[in-house]
Amino acid sequence: MRAEELKGHLDAVLLAALEGGPRHGYAVIEALRQNTGGRLDLPTGTIYPALRRLEQAGLIAGSWSVVGGRRRREYQLTAAGRRALAGRRADWRDFSAAVTAALESRPWPSPA
Amino acid sequence: MAEPRLIRDYLAALSAQLPARIVHELADGLTETYQYYVRQGQAPDIAARSAVAEFGEPRVITAEFARAHPTRRTSRTLLMTGPAVGACWAATLITSQAWAWPIPLPARILLGLALITTIGLLATSTLGTCYRLAARAGIAGCASIVALDAAMITGAMLVMPSITWIMVAAVAASTIRMACSMRTLSGLTALHG
Repeated sequence: MRAEELKGHLDAVLLAALEGGPRHGYAVIEALRQNTGGRLDLPTGTIYPALRRLEQAGLIAGSWSVVGGRRRREYQLTAAGRRALAGRRADWRDFSAAVTAALESRPWPSPA
Repeated sequence: MAEPRLIRDYLAALSAQLPARIVHELADGLTETYQYYVRQGQAPDIAARSAVAEFGEPRVITAEFARAHPTRRTSRTLLMTGPAVGACWAATLITSQAWAWPIPLPARILLGLALITTIGLLATSTLGTCYRLAARAGIAGCASIVALDAAMITGAMLVMPSITWIMVAAVAASTIRMACSMRTLSGLTALHG
């Protein structure tokens, strides 16, 4: 999956990665890798600014902790984030169903 | 586990551009990535190279952080709506013959220079890929808009002989712009304060 293809859906994919509970940046990246079957082809460092953007939008909330002497920021979905994720899922299902139907439609029989 | 020099150099390159709180988070993620490759059996130097390659170039990451800065969207909105607000004020000044107002020339020049500087700051915030420069320009641009609009509204209230509908439109537009800028600036304090 190329970075440009993923970019338009990155916010929704990140929200989905946080649906199971709070995660720190690297755990989000691991979840993305697992959820996309290892097809994620994105500089993983760019996940962090995307998480910041979602936090600024109020869709996720971040908090600091110290693990192994390192400062770690953990994120979790907010109520607004859960609503946004549900909306994105519904939109994606509609879009995906429409495109699948269009791409898999059989040509009309040619006139004899 | 001591990190190889490559990891330290990479984080130093990020530290030169990004605030400490962001670098701390990136350092945690990069160290986790490095440790993952070590657990996979790679030698420390190879693991460091793999981790850095996976993370991406520092300039790409800092550019993404510049794009994600809260002032960026506000700066872009202010730039896009600027001509309409400016047109309202221009119409107000022309219809009230502002050239005859008792405002000294240095004050007029200062206002013009402040306007040009503000546009430059907002453009830098909107287009800049250098995090520190773009963030500072965004903060200064938003603060500058508040000051400029406050000066325009105060000046118009004090000097204009009568209230016209176009002046009401200009004041309303400036008030919305000030509220939008102040909300962005106070949001920054809430996020980082």
